[in-house]
Amino acid sequence: MTSDQWKADKKLIHLFQTIGRILLDKDLEDSHSGNISTLWEDDQGNEKIVITAAGSQKGDLDPSQICFLSPSETDFGYYKASSETDIHAKILSLPGVRAVIHAHTKELTIMTFDEEEKPNKPSPFIPIDVLGFYHLNGSIPVDWVEVPVGSPEMAKIIPKRLAHHKTTVLQGHGIFAKGSTLKETLFNVCIANNSGYIARLANKLNIDIQKLRKEITKSPSKYFPYPLKKYTQEREKTREIQGEKEISEEFKKTAARIFESNLSPFFTGSMSIRGVDRMLYAPKASIPREIRGPIEEIPLSLEKKEPDREMTIHQQIYKNTDFQTVIHCYIPESEAVSYFIPPGQKKPINRVVPIDAEGSFFYLVIPILPPSFKWEALIRLLHDYKIVIIRGGGVWSVGEQSLSEALHHPSSLRDICLYIIGAYERGLNLSKMQPEKARQW
Amino acid sequence: MDEFKGGGVHKKLLEIDLTLSKSRLRKLNKSLLQDYIGGRALATRIFFDAVNPSCDPLSPENIIVIASSPLIGTSAPTATRGHMVFKSPLTGFIGSSNCGGTWARYMKSAGYDAVLIKGKAKKPVTLHISPESVRFESAEKIWGYDVHKTTDILKKNSKKNHILCIGPAGENLVKFSSVMNDKNRAYGRGGPGAVFGSKNLKAICVSGNEKTSIEKKEIFKAGKEQAEYIMKASPITKRLLKELGTSGLFKLINVMEMLPHNNFQDNIHSDHKIDEISGERIKKNLLRRAGACFGCPIACQRHTSVNGQSGEGPEYETLVMLGPQCEVYDLKSITKANYSCNELGLDTISMGGTTACVMELFEKGLISTQDTNGIKFSFGRAEMLEQVTQLVAYRKGIGDQISEGSYRFAELFNHPSLSMSVKKLEIPAYDPRASFTQALGYMTSPTGACHLRGGYAVSLAFFGGTKEIPRFSQLQSPIAIRNMQNLGIIQDSLGVCRFTGFAFSTEPWSRMLSGVTGYEYSSAEFEKMANRVAALERVFNLRAGLKYSDDSLPQRFSSQSITVQGKKTVLSNKFQTQMREDYYKARRWSVPEGIPSKKTLETIGLEGI
Repeated sequence: MTSDQWKADKKLIHLFQTIGRILLDKDLEDSHSGNISTLWEDDQGNEKIVITAAGSQKGDLDPSQICFLSPSETDFGYYKASSETDIHAKILSLPGVRAVIHAHTKELTIMTFDEEEKPNKPSPFIPIDVLGFYHLNGSIPVDWVEVPVGSPEMAKIIPKRLAHHKTTVLQGHGIFAKGSTLKETLFNVCIANNSGYIARLANKLNIDIQKLRKEITKSPSKYFPYPLKKYTQEREKTREIQGEKEISEEFKKTAARIFESNLSPFFTGSMSIRGVDRMLYAPKASIPREIRGPIEEIPLSLEKKEPDREMTIHQQIYKNTDFQTVIHCYIPESEAVSYFIPPGQKKPINRVVPIDAEGSFFYLVIPILPPSFKWEALIRLLHDYKIVIIRGGGVWSVGEQSLSEALHHPSSLRDICLYIIGAYERGLNLSKMQPEKARQW
Repeated sequence: MDEFKGGGVHKKLLEIDLTLSKSRLRKLNKSLLQDYIGGRALATRIFFDAVNPSCDPLSPENIIVIASSPLIGTSAPTATRGHMVFKSPLTGFIGSSNCGGTWARYMKSAGYDAVLIKGKAKKPVTLHISPESVRFESAEKIWGYDVHKTTDILKKNSKKNHILCIGPAGENLVKFSSVMNDKNRAYGRGGPGAVFGSKNLKAICVSGNEKTSIEKKEIFKAGKEQAEYIMKASPITKRLLKELGTSGLFKLINVMEMLPHNNFQDNIHSDHKIDEISGERIKKNLLRRAGACFGCPIACQRHTSVNGQSGEGPEYETLVMLGPQCEVYDLKSITKANYSCNELGLDTISMGGTTACVMELFEKGLISTQDTNGIKFSFGRAEMLEQVTQLVAYRKGIGDQISEGSYRFAELFNHPSLSMSVKKLEIPAYDPRASFTQALGYMTSPTGACHLRGGYAVSLAFFGGTKEIPRFSQLQSPIAIRNMQNLGIIQDSLGVCRFTGFAFSTEPWSRMLSGVTGYEYSSAEFEKMANRVAALERVFNLRAGLKYSDDSLPQRFSSQSITVQGKKTVLSNKFQTQMREDYYKARRWSVPEGIPSKKTLETIGLEGI
């Protein structure tokens, strides 16, 4: 590594700094934990490992704390680089892998603890949410090791797990995730922790997670509306909208709000604004301010040979209604609440009744549709409620005029669900807390 | 809840033939009431089926339909507004006007969902409508009386009477004369007063105690409570309109650089002058009390007094059109001219817009005192305003030409481009160059440049809250204005106030309407109904001779820029064409003609019209 190597690629340094900041802000690291690495080619075509320095604060990475190493021979950079560099290097040598993140994914870590006598082989973590299930191939391996920080044992077992999985958990420590880009790797980290969070919320709501896991694994199509498309680098590209500066800003602002307010994990969901015969479509709705995402111009009548289900729903909503904006996102709290079975009942709820002041001010009721929902039902409910939860399929919201309007609904819904979960956790009787007028709504 | 049970309606249309002095009762069938609900939608459909689109608006052939709605007569907030549809003598196209007050509520208490008036009485007549009878009474003695005096006399005859009437302007067929109820509430735009006058119809008195039934009280109650709950919290419905009335908009619209000046020549006003006539100043200097339409918690009415004379107003539009549009910043003069318009039965927007046009022609030397009977029509002559209203209402001197509206006046003097109107209806008090959405609303409004029928876009630009959209988006404007127009159609058809839109959209209304009628309405049905009404209005206009080029702004807006947000803005003809065509596409009408296709009509249940 040369001392001014960091000057070589300012964009890469900025991306490291951004991802470091995101990991800290999203509570996926403590002040000094975790590490980030990627493969990078210099001007001469030499491939390097770029990795964060040992002991660096990921939330405030100085360029000098980003080390450029030879992947094949030891150079002085190794001594400054992360103590887990060897593990990163091995993972980066796997086919197709170009980035690795190790993070302290607390929600997932909590949900992968067990009380078994050590050593043991913990059970894999099975996501009950659609994002985790499809994007992480249905399970996340979990391993116990005696020395869970930078040990040779880790260097042996983790690359082995990641040869077949996108993420793996070291019990009581955190996650290692791979990807073909840093953004994809961050995506995998966020998805995995989100799955842990949803499972934890479900736990709080006394939902029988083990039963749900078995059933989902056996027949995912019964629990999720449709399989999700694989993450592609293609949709990492940034594109601006020509001649509509204010709308470009609206997209950026809304995407940042969805991400910052935890309305959907990084690079998930979608949103659009329609024009007369085209829509401006963002295939990723949750994007931090520092990272831009793509905005595609799609004819409303476009029919693809291999239909993108997510995009098709946007088109269908516009085809069948006068709404002007649509947002789809995966609010973890509403994912969990949609599986809630109230005491004394046998089936999950089919509507959320807010118990908080603002929630019931705006919505007396928010409907929940089953994964096998019919178009007509979704369209009608969107007309009457502007927001609909699909059990196992995220949340769809619409606006008559603006993206801001469509955003307000999921944002309120997250609060509404948090209050419901909290009240239930405290042992309060939810039905007593629901507004009387909601019964007639 | 899956069948229209007919709650909230009498299923009765009263048809009055003034030529024959006869009335007859027609039953309104359930499917019509279910699909068209009431108000604007119902009146438009009845009108569409009954009138010859090519008729002379001031002939006996023209028809007036006034409709109430299922919510009127219930305690639904603001549900008191009636809707009147007619062929406009000012535009030659559909006239569609909505009014608060109490009259529509009592028309419904008289036992009718709608009243259709056709023909022409031989002599001036007043109609008396009650559940028991329809009487034709001579109005010869009150012909010539102003609105207030007419109302007082008819009210004196029976306190149970609720009065809808015209003043001298309507009698004299002023093309922008209004029909008034409760003395100061107007069916204002497009000249319905002249249509009344042409039929020798001075007034309609209604009385009765017929109740409005509610099928599912609990559902109605849930919707109503939610609506009231939100209205109590929204800053516009709970505070601004009550404290300052619509004139509370005045300073804000100026800050947005949308406030027109001197017949839309620019948008520049001095802060000092703005302060002189603001809503805040009205509250401080003129306001006696705020008032409300029947059952309305908003209470935006301004009951004011000037020099011992009392009346109502000015509201925002009046304030601007009789004020800065004419370079007048004298609050007393504006208010007195407003009182005069109410008493004479004149639309204040067209009155102000036409006066501003005359002033510009005068200042540019295109007309002189020889044309104006010696009156100097200079901008800023506040003392002249009230006098001009009198000349217009009685068609005296130059008033005779002014009473034809700005377009015909300017055309008479070979400068029609100086009329700031669309389809000959004067543009209200928001400069279209300051909002693409508002511009498109004026262009495509079925009634001509109307901020209410054309879509109240300004509410998206400033008070939109979460609905706020960019003012200069070519992508969003066509859909945005279509949706605002549709929301307006829904509100007009429910008989409720535009201002409720500042608090909520249609959801509480669908609950209330479902509770009242017993049929489960969704906002989806509202949406379909709105598209149906927009298509009906369009087809009527096309049959009345409308061309797509009529959906355009005056030349000034494509050639003279104003500065907004530090940038010069202008709406070129090419840009207007693009926006208009995008709007047609949004409506699923043909391009470039703007004709609803057979397929479009079929999808909204209008096959075979």
